[in-house]
Amino acid sequence: MSSLPLTTAAAQPVAAQPAAAGARRPLSAVLPALGLGVLLVLPLLAGGYWTFTLGLCFANAIAILSVSFLVRYGGEVSIGHGVFVAAGAYTVALMEKYLGLSVLAALPLAAVAGALLGAAFAFPSRHLSGIYLAVATMALALSLPEVLLHFSTLSGGYEGLYVKLDAVPGAAKSLQRYYLPLLGLAAVVLLLKNFRRSRQAMALLLIRTSAHAAESFGIRRSWARLWCMALSGAIAAIAGALLSFSSSTVSPNSFTLWTSIFLLVGSVVSLYSLSLVGSLVGGLFLTLMPLLLAGAGNWVPILYGAALLAVVLGVNALPPHVRARLEGGRT
Amino acid sequence: MGDLIGLAWSGVISGCLYAMGAIGIVLIYKSSNVVNFAHGNLAGLAAFIVFGFTAGILGNMAWGVAVVLTLAIMVVVMAASYLLIAPLVFKSDLTSTIATLGIGLVAQGVTQLVFGSNVVSMDLPLPAWKAQLGPIRVTSYDVAVLLVTATAIGLLYLLIERTRVGIAFRAVSANPFASRVCGLNLRNVHLFSWVVAGVLGLVASLLIVPTTFLSSTSVASFMLQAFAAAVVGGFSSLPGAVLGGIFIGVLMNLLSFYVAAEFNNTYQLAIILLVLNLFPKGVLAVRGGARV
Repeated sequence: MSSLPLTTAAAQPVAAQPAAAGARRPLSAVLPALGLGVLLVLPLLAGGYWTFTLGLCFANAIAILSVSFLVRYGGEVSIGHGVFVAAGAYTVALMEKYLGLSVLAALPLAAVAGALLGAAFAFPSRHLSGIYLAVATMALALSLPEVLLHFSTLSGGYEGLYVKLDAVPGAAKSLQRYYLPLLGLAAVVLLLKNFRRSRQAMALLLIRTSAHAAESFGIRRSWARLWCMALSGAIAAIAGALLSFSSSTVSPNSFTLWTSIFLLVGSVVSLYSLSLVGSLVGGLFLTLMPLLLAGAGNWVPILYGAALLAVVLGVNALPPHVRARLEGGRT
Repeated sequence: MGDLIGLAWSGVISGCLYAMGAIGIVLIYKSSNVVNFAHGNLAGLAAFIVFGFTAGILGNMAWGVAVVLTLAIMVVVMAASYLLIAPLVFKSDLTSTIATLGIGLVAQGVTQLVFGSNVVSMDLPLPAWKAQLGPIRVTSYDVAVLLVTATAIGLLYLLIERTRVGIAFRAVSANPFASRVCGLNLRNVHLFSWVVAGVLGLVASLLIVPTTFLSSTSVASFMLQAFAAAVVGGFSSLPGAVLGGIFIGVLMNLLSFYVAAEFNNTYQLAIILLVLNLFPKGVLAVRGGARV
């Protein structure tokens, strides 16, 4: 990619305005905590329908974070992230079916499966520009339903598999399906925040900003590509594991090319944000839009497409300093 | 052996169509560094417009008129699509590539909205003619595909090698910065490649319809083979796109006959991964190092 879509925090003029940054800091720290607090007590007020929908929404938000992570740290687009989500979901379902393990025990395995799959697909395109990765992931997304249907004795075929075991024995099922994804989302956001300060994150951002400079420091671009995809795949697989737990079922139908494209749309709508609020905006958009538009089947792709274009073009049309604040403030 | 030659022949025929799709993708990528993921959906919409004009949904006219009218519509649609993402093109390849996905979603939605999501069948006005050349069975459809592809590629060759806009296209794809310094209008070159890609997409999608049924997603999934062809040929090589298309066509035919027919997309994935490993920049691309 010759030009980068989003500049990193290091390159932002925000750093040159300590007063403005200092004034905004308390709000940006308080808002997520406040939001988290509201979400924690929400099941006590809202009905079962909303706790169920919001549980799915949190899991989707994690999946969106994985796409945003890839864009932010790798400067890559993936049109196949539904596959990594599926890897996590099926890992959980299969572990329960054959080993009787609950979602909590299967979660680390799901993450590892997602990471391995991500690295495997980044490997052939490790020296190439991102379009090759995009096309390869698109082919991956298309071939997944075929493979799942072919190994139907293992994967459950069209009907899919069920996830029934409790994560915490004894607690109410609907609350588990709400709180587990919420905790997962909070944990992933926290991890990403800390990751930003790590050596690895610095290396990845340096490579994305200037591959040549990074290579002369001894950081290999192919290594970064593998790392990015592996981490992103792991996050997506965690999302899939929680999604399968919250919806209590997995089937090939829920992991088509459309799933992957919609995840990308959600990520664009959240402006590739890696924060709690940003990912929740994307997750809500992705989860609630189809519900709101339940009667308007054919309008759904048009609306998603229009939303995507509107966000992309709208952000581009904003004055540069507003855009920098929206996009770059915190990577 | 007879099977093999017959399969290879029909693979070449469908490969020609993949090649036409791939050329469109490569043209746009070469001139503007944008991967147009809307290509299949836009071509599918075009095929449906021809269907609408001939089957009485939008009108009831002769084939030739319908195709010419649709060509005109396609030129407008492609130009509009490009102008929509034009503000992004020079800013970020990634963002403009994502925007083409938005255009594709809208095109898909419009197709479903106007024509429904049912499967329809459309016949091309071809004479019923058949001949047997050894193991190869040649139909009028095969001849039509070969003739149209040869004509289209020949015209494109002349357009790029002999006309001013073609020279501009080559200059821009070789070095956009130098071309702009020399006073070329990059937007016009981009517009040219989008429109030509759209026309090629329309022709390819019309020709693919007799072998498959027309549905709101059939052309889009056919264009995925075109993406695989573009990868095989190296994303920025026009001859590579042609070779890649024919290669994919033949290989897919052989695989689905000798191995199993239900794994079409999985074969594509395997081919893409394998080619990326063996020839990282495509079969016809020159390898170059980077300077720090």
